[in-house]
Amino acid sequence: MSPLTITTRDAMTGPVLEIIGDLAYPHATELTALLPTIALRPGQRLVLDLAGMEFCDSSGISALIAARNLAHAARADVALAAVPAHTLRVLRVVGLDQIFSLHPDRDAATRP
Amino acid sequence: MCRTGQQPHQQGAGDERTAHAAFAALLEDSAEELYESAPCGYLSTLMDGTIAKINATLLRWLRLERDAVVGRMRFTDLLSVGGKLYHETHFAPLLRMQGEIGGIALELRRGDGGRMPVLASSVIKQGGNGEPLLVRTTLFDARDRRAYEAELLRARKVAEEARRQAEADRARLQDALAALQQSLLPDSLPPVPGVETAVHYRAASPDRLGGDFYDLFPVDGERFAFFLGDVCGKGPQAAAVTSLTRYTLRAAALHDPDPVSALTTLNKVLHERYTGGDPRYCTAIFGLVEPDAASGRATVRLASGGHPSALVLRADGTAGFLPTPGGFLVGALPDARFATADTVLAPGDTLLLYTDGLTEARTGEDRGSLYGDEALRDFAVGHAGQPPRAVIEALTGLLDDFGDGLDDDTALLALGVPAPDLRTRNRE
Repeated sequence: MSPLTITTRDAMTGPVLEIIGDLAYPHATELTALLPTIALRPGQRLVLDLAGMEFCDSSGISALIAARNLAHAARADVALAAVPAHTLRVLRVVGLDQIFSLHPDRDAATRP
Repeated sequence: MCRTGQQPHQQGAGDERTAHAAFAALLEDSAEELYESAPCGYLSTLMDGTIAKINATLLRWLRLERDAVVGRMRFTDLLSVGGKLYHETHFAPLLRMQGEIGGIALELRRGDGGRMPVLASSVIKQGGNGEPLLVRTTLFDARDRRAYEAELLRARKVAEEARRQAEADRARLQDALAALQQSLLPDSLPPVPGVETAVHYRAASPDRLGGDFYDLFPVDGERFAFFLGDVCGKGPQAAAVTSLTRYTLRAAALHDPDPVSALTTLNKVLHERYTGGDPRYCTAIFGLVEPDAASGRATVRLASGGHPSALVLRADGTAGFLPTPGGFLVGALPDARFATADTVLAPGDTLLLYTDGLTEARTGEDRGSLYGDEALRDFAVGHAGQPPRAVIEALTGLLDDFGDGLDDDTALLALGVPAPDLRTRNRE
């Protein structure tokens, strides 16, 4: 299992969280714990860059939904960038492809 | 003190002389003095064991007088019963064979009846022609060493007790986990007229509560409700959601057995219960089966909330998914949509519900090679036409084959209408 690393950057559109490694049990809660510390203004877009994500289980999916809930509570948008093929298939099965805006890469996701 | 030039020399010479004399006296005196009051016991015995010479230290340890020992007792007379036995069986034979023996633990029996542990070393003194003359034995006081060994033994007993206690605690915890796990699943499924059912549950780890669930129960005279699902996450928190989910779905179905209504109720309950930073949800398929005795068929209506599609194995040897696309995770959103699907099970048809522990099982070294939907459908085609019990049995074998590749819990539920010949046999 690869460790989870999350780095935070700021783009024109708002904060960008880069998820590297495994977003999975039991480490996925690190993302959930980090979320309340992210400054997010109404109208901004929280981007989760998944290009470096190697694995995502149901705990990881839970963390993604927590991110969405947080963004919506702040009246902000949420977008996923570079979703790996396997995770994208899971997102489709559970219907999450309908509630996240999906982008091929970080550049596309942070375009105003 | 030394003021004149000569004095130091004289004085020094005198000191030297005194020291020399003391050293000489020590040398002169040493043999006997050292023998008698050495910090160990000395003993010389004839080859028949009779004690010929013994030093004062050993006599003091033994609380015996020299006259009572020399020429009257044998070495073995100084030993405890256990010591005697060991001497006869090990010590003496080895000594005879090797000519010497060292560091053997023996126990002395003192004149006052007390015991004293010693470490014994012996060597045979030989005559000019190599014939054995006598045995010289040295005995070291081993009381401290024995106390140390006793302390080690005590510490080991304490550690063993702690380990035993930890194992007992662990066993009790596993019993509790097993009892909780059983409360998440029905003991057995009720008989459904004209329909055969079979289930299987495989926990990925025996000490981790599972997050998969299933159930089947009557909702009115004609219809039976069934569901199968998977709670997101693992561990005790997930198990709590599993429990809430199971009982919510049962209660909801009794109120309104429509599959979408049941999932909508569950969605509301989970969403309200777990709003906030620790969202909890599940994927589930909820269905109703209505057997029709007249036609020998059973109609199935089901709804899916983000759950992998059910599989239908037909009597004619085909198999395919029963797609429910777009259905949403249950509990994640206040206004989730759920997708429905209908099918009719003719005699020989079997409907299979499963959790993704099956399709996400690793078939290779890395996480990249998973069993997958395609492989599962091919497997289903291979078993199409078989009754639910046979299908579940085959899948159980498949799970066995995955071995360590099975990372997640797996729940399987199959229901089908028995083929005509089977039904005839059942009636007989």
